Amino acid sequence: MSTIRVRSAASYWLAVPAAVWMLGVVVVPIALLAWVSLWGGRTFSPASPLTVDNYTKFFANKTYLQLALSTVGHTALLMVITGVLGYCIAYFLTMKVKSPAWRLILFLAFIVPFWTSTLIRGIAWVPFLGVNGVLNQALMFTGATRTPIEAFLYSVFGISMAQVSLYTMMAAGPVIYMLNAVAPQLREAAMTLKAPPLVVFWRIVFPLTLPGVVIGQVLVFLNVMADFATVATVGGNKHAMLSNLVLLFYEGSQHRAASVVAVLLMICMLIGVVAAMKVVDIRRLGADR
Amino acid sequence: MKFALLGDWKFRSALTGWGLGTLTVVFLVYQWMPILTLGLLSFAGPTGGTTFPMNGVSLHWYEELWKATVMNDFKPPLVRSSLLAAACAITTVVLSVMSAQAMRGKFRGNDWFFYLMLLGIMAPGILVGFGFAILMRLLDVELAWNTTTFLVQVSWTLPFGFLTMLAVFNRFDSRVEEAALTLGASRLTTFRRITLPLIMPGVIGAGLFGFSLSYDEYPRSMFTTGPDQTLPLAVMAQLDRQLTPEIYAIGTTTTVFSLIAVLLCTSALWAMRRSTAPRKA
Repeated sequence: MSTIRVRSAASYWLAVPAAVWMLGVVVVPIALLAWVSLWGGRTFSPASPLTVDNYTKFFANKTYLQLALSTVGHTALLMVITGVLGYCIAYFLTMKVKSPAWRLILFLAFIVPFWTSTLIRGIAWVPFLGVNGVLNQALMFTGATRTPIEAFLYSVFGISMAQVSLYTMMAAGPVIYMLNAVAPQLREAAMTLKAPPLVVFWRIVFPLTLPGVVIGQVLVFLNVMADFATVATVGGNKHAMLSNLVLLFYEGSQHRAASVVAVLLMICMLIGVVAAMKVVDIRRLGADR
Repeated sequence: MKFALLGDWKFRSALTGWGLGTLTVVFLVYQWMPILTLGLLSFAGPTGGTTFPMNGVSLHWYEELWKATVMNDFKPPLVRSSLLAAACAITTVVLSVMSAQAMRGKFRGNDWFFYLMLLGIMAPGILVGFGFAILMRLLDVELAWNTTTFLVQVSWTLPFGFLTMLAVFNRFDSRVEEAALTLGASRLTTFRRITLPLIMPGVIGAGLFGFSLSYDEYPRSMFTTGPDQTLPLAVMAQLDRQLTPEIYAIGTTTTVFSLIAVLLCTSALWAMRRSTAPRKA
């Protein structure tokens, strides 16, 4: 017995407003994009004949294809970096820090930036990476280089630096959650049975935290794939990812081309998410195990 | 032999600890350095540029920000963003409590409902914003920050609030509700007097998500906001025109603003945990 009866009409009606909201704002517009991407003809209207011309045009262009490939490659690189870094930090915070006060301080220092603006944090890298930026000044001061390195700002390197600082939290957060749930007795039992520490980690701890790793990777994947803002601020106008292409076409009033890129982006993401769902059942997170 | 091995393990464990600890601290410095640099540079002197040297310390750029007119006036966008964030927070709290409560009722199709909410998090903002803008165009609806932007932003903040409430209800002990119901309280009274106070920390968390995600949202707003811009849009527009320490000043201000919001919510949670913790006899 609880405040809501199982399979009651009330439970159904309570969900309706949220469901309608999400359908109208997320599902319908994305379905619309898929439809618009097939519009042919000269006028932009629902009466247009359907064709795959927009797609053939996109795939016929080598530059766009290269852009799509480099976007996927860049995303994969960031997933690896933030994944390893995030796991190390998560392991340190949950397993190695013994004092609760220190753990809280380090944990807050780690997650608090998540609640501030991603846009501002991206912009914050600009004075840092420029020709006269902090990084170059530091390098010249220590004598590591004589002339300032121009390749930091407006480059893929700079974009990656900023994105690592933005998204490592997302890779680590779910792992921290899963590590906290690993019963200490399991590790003790393995140790008592004389398993070396590395084996304990690899055979016991890591498999138990795998769902956290996968969810973190999905979050990083989704965010980096769609992160046109950091690419625009730190990368200037010299670099583009697939998501910047959507904006570029949109600003040029090429709505059909923009829809094509949007649909491709969505397909990439669906593939990523479905693959991850095969590994973990997201619904069981937070439930008592 | 056995003890030597044990000592070796301990040594190696300590070594791993130090290695990982160094990595963590280095990352924290790496993560905070740009934010702190931004804050420091916003206090540059009037002749200071967008990087070091600062040419003195002053509040010049904050003054400029305060005095600015028309083109780079950040005050109206700030007001708009705050109002919008507050509206999103309230809507998120109400809808996420309702839908998480609905999930407890295991209505038919609740798994589809769950995936629908998840889609709100997974669908990239740029696609949702773009798609919604096209939809509004076809329906001939005018874009505005307090109508279309609000609709789109809630689709982003609501799933976070929903997942928070779901996690809270997953650990909720419904026996306390049962006790109240057995004693003759109506379902509504039980929810109001028993359930709601117990899930309050989650409600505050959902509200915090609603506020901060909406306040900082850029991609969704970019496509769906009319001529009256929200704060992130105004910042980006200013960045496109010219990079000045004024942007640093506005960046520092909003960051401090966000930090205060987080601080208020954490202290509220902390106070609540203390008041609901079992008392020592």
